[in-house]
Amino acid sequence: MSTDTTTDRPTREISVTVNGEEVTAEVEPRLKLSDFLRNYVDLGSVRVGCEHGVCGACTVSVDGDIAKSCLMYAVQLDGKEVTTVEGISEAGSLHPIQEAFHEEHALQCGFCTSGFIMSAREFLAENPDPTRAEIKAALADNICRCTGYQNIFDAVERAADNMEGD
Amino acid sequence: MKPAAFEYHSPETAEEATELLADLPDAKLMAGNQSFGIIMSNRLATPDHVIDISDIEGLRYVDVGDDAVEIGAMTRHADVEHSDDLAEVLPLMPEAAQHIAGPAVRNRGTVGGTLGEADPAGNHSCTLLALDAELAVASADGERTIPIDEYFLAYMLTAVEDDELITSVRVSREAFPVERTGMRFTVEKRAAQTWPTLGASAVVRVDDPDADEPVIEDARLSFANAADVPLRTHDAEAEVTGEPLSEGLLESVADTVYDAVEPQDEMHADETYKRELAATFARRSLATAYDRAQGLDE
Ligand SMILES: Cc1cc2nc3c(=O)[nH]c(=O)nc-3n(C[C@H](O)[C@H](O)[C@H](O)COP(=O)(O)OP(=O)(O)OC[C@H]3O[C@@H](n4cnc5c(N)ncnc54)[C@H](O)[C@@H]3O)c2cc1C
Ligand code: FES
Ligand code: FES
Repeated sequence: MSTDTTTDRPTREISVTVNGEEVTAEVEPRLKLSDFLRNYVDLGSVRVGCEHGVCGACTVSVDGDIAKSCLMYAVQLDGKEVTTVEGISEAGSLHPIQEAFHEEHALQCGFCTSGFIMSAREFLAENPDPTRAEIKAALADNICRCTGYQNIFDAVERAADNMEGD
Repeated sequence: MKPAAFEYHSPETAEEATELLADLPDAKLMAGNQSFGIIMSNRLATPDHVIDISDIEGLRYVDVGDDAVEIGAMTRHADVEHSDDLAEVLPLMPEAAQHIAGPAVRNRGTVGGTLGEADPAGNHSCTLLALDAELAVASADGERTIPIDEYFLAYMLTAVEDDELITSVRVSREAFPVERTGMRFTVEKRAAQTWPTLGASAVVRVDDPDADEPVIEDARLSFANAADVPLRTHDAEAEVTGEPLSEGLLESVADTVYDAVEPQDEMHADETYKRELAATFARRSLATAYDRAQGLDE
């Protein structure tokens, strides 16, 4: 779904590395990074919940730091790198955090899951051996309306254990 | 929740940004976009031009000198949170930064953006008010400084003009010798994603940290979301200055704060609740800051 319905307004050409591949596109400045990733690059893991920075469903990694993609514009990404859940493991295999989410039943509807995984991934890279309290603080930008969070915290703990020594 | 169309500009230096501000009609600055993005999405702001200053690296720094600390406007909340230098000399700032939303917001949101937004609940606004910071602002016409106590004019209205850019904040270290100063930021929020229901910054300097009952030489007490602007309570500060901190003094300063704050009712926190919270936070933050000034806490 990459139709541009706003051809009469000025656009910009951007070149972004998305999950290791260079993507070039003509975008309007007001196009949110979240909409760019979903509608131009077809990355369905990027969920759009609140569109105002609260729910964390749209969390991606920009040049190595997580960001809420609904509060960035695609034009800002020119020359930068984005990673989404699609890019954290080889196609067909699960990242250890995804595996731990599966094992701990850390999702029900799954809408929030990619955001949590992106947040957990950055966090565990910096804190490989975290406490429960640190995990909670690290996931403070993400809302889940199904699980009640405990299984998510369990999953991140398990992922930390499984990834030890990586 | 999609913003109206705008033209995008991405200056590489502060000078370029101020020139754009001077030349472009109806232009707005965009820093971390963690507040502005929401206002744009709700179409409460529909500027023709957006000037993205978030990647101006020259405005992103923490510079701790012997006399003063200077923080560039594009320094992110996460930079403040993880700065060992700030933890050493102005620990209030990292302590407050770590309570701003979660890591993704802290990766993008900036000190300058918090001041530019001037929400009365802003964490950095509260701490910088207690620390008596000075803002450096620039326009195409030149530069000037604004003492922070002249900066917040009314609800989300500031002394910065439309063609001006906040470039940095500066805190003089003179009043805060590390070995006998203690600081504490206390906050209450409903959830991590929400802004503070109430926040408090306390700074206490004692005469002799090794004395049995050190006398308070200087005290600062400010509040987030306790009025329509970030609020400093000078009367409460004066009350604790010149004496050792006692239970009796904490009781009476709490009463002073209860009356001094001017909070708004909110759905989950009415005015009385917020007054009580401010009084409690005054007591707790001052007590902890006093302990820390003596090297007692942690
Ligand atoms: C879910 C969520 C929770 C949050 N919780 C908190 C919280 O608990 N405490 C807290 O303090 N904040 C909180 N914030 C806000 C966050 O701290 C923002 O980062 C901050 O308020 C604005 O900074 P920014 O860099 O994103 O600025 P922007 O949103 O880009 O800009 C804000 C305003 O300031 C102006 N501006 C920006 N930079 C300058 C400058 N250099 N000179 C002049 N004007 C400028 C802009 O034009 C705009 O009007 C939260 C945000 C979110 C999304
Ligand atoms: S959609 Fe971005 S935070 Fe909710
Ligand atoms: S699993 Fe449904 S919102 Fe989290």
